[in-house]
Amino acid sequence: MSRPVLAVLLLACLGACLSDRPPLLIDGLEITAPLPGNDMSAGYFELTNTTAAPLVITRVASPDFERVMMHETTIDDGIARMRMLEEITVPAGQTVRFSRGGKHLMLSGAGPTADLVTLQFYAGDALLLSISTRTGMED
Amino acid sequence: MHAKQFLLIVLSLVAIACGAWLSYQLVAPSAKPGTATILPQPLALPEFVLVDQHGDAVRPDDFRGRWSLVFFGFTHCPDVCPLTLQVLADARRQLAAAGESPLPTIVLVSVDPERDTPEVIGNYVDYFDTDAIGVTGDLAEVQKLTSGLGVFFQRAARDDDNYAVDHSAVVLLIDPDARFRALFSAPHEAGNFVNDLPLILSGA
Repeated sequence: MSRPVLAVLLLACLGACLSDRPPLLIDGLEITAPLPGNDMSAGYFELTNTTAAPLVITRVASPDFERVMMHETTIDDGIARMRMLEEITVPAGQTVRFSRGGKHLMLSGAGPTADLVTLQFYAGDALLLSISTRTGMED
Repeated sequence: MHAKQFLLIVLSLVAIACGAWLSYQLVAPSAKPGTATILPQPLALPEFVLVDQHGDAVRPDDFRGRWSLVFFGFTHCPDVCPLTLQVLADARRQLAAAGESPLPTIVLVSVDPERDTPEVIGNYVDYFDTDAIGVTGDLAEVQKLTSGLGVFFQRAARDDDNYAVDHSAVVLLIDPDARFRALFSAPHEAGNFVNDLPLILSGA
């Protein structure tokens, strides 16, 4: 087989492998256990967009909580504010971090199975990612 | 000894002394508070009456006799409040491990007394530090305390009961004479308290 033909085949294989990658990868997932006195948890992780186009996360859902919202903490002039985020854009090939003191999930209305939590990330009606983890542990 | 040799020896000694001084500055712990803002004049607490997690009254005089690290937050805060309380608890543990005495008491004053009943706030603070105190009560009394200390809080507009409360992220240091002595601005790290508190408490 000639070298140019081999190179084309290798590139095609690489493209096929890449196209099988999930569009959204998650790392460092941590769901805090609800604190005494409330049924609320926080979610922290890193989301990486493996595609060549921006991904707009419009909703995060969980069968283990009544409500899941994306929030962001800001501290401006010494005032801490928490605001809901309607959507999060993960640019092509980049990573967005949800971390303490910044963007985070607020999960409320913990159900009886909230020690094992499943999160589902949607872009519109499209489910991009579903992942489960135990609360209080970082994956 | 030639003058040149003498000068060389003097310059060498000066260089060694400068190096030692610089090394000490870089390596030795800070000799004065590096993060805390100390008030030029301690400020007496304003008059207020709230309750602790046991339902017992809390007034300014109840801060006498101990150092207190006071944070204004609420239990339905999923991020910055537990983060801050964890930092304070970690700092207290590190101070205890270092043999520091007295240890400050962690006090959480609720800016959401509607949801933070004494039982709720008591269970909450106990999670972080079993010696911590949770303070709640009448909203007007909370406002007396916060406005007297320059602390801000405001319920964020939302129709349901999942509202958030915007609030100052500062941690206040109250001295054993029940006076506002110093403050720590966010973002908070345990090391800031571990370094600065012994210096402040010793009068540095």
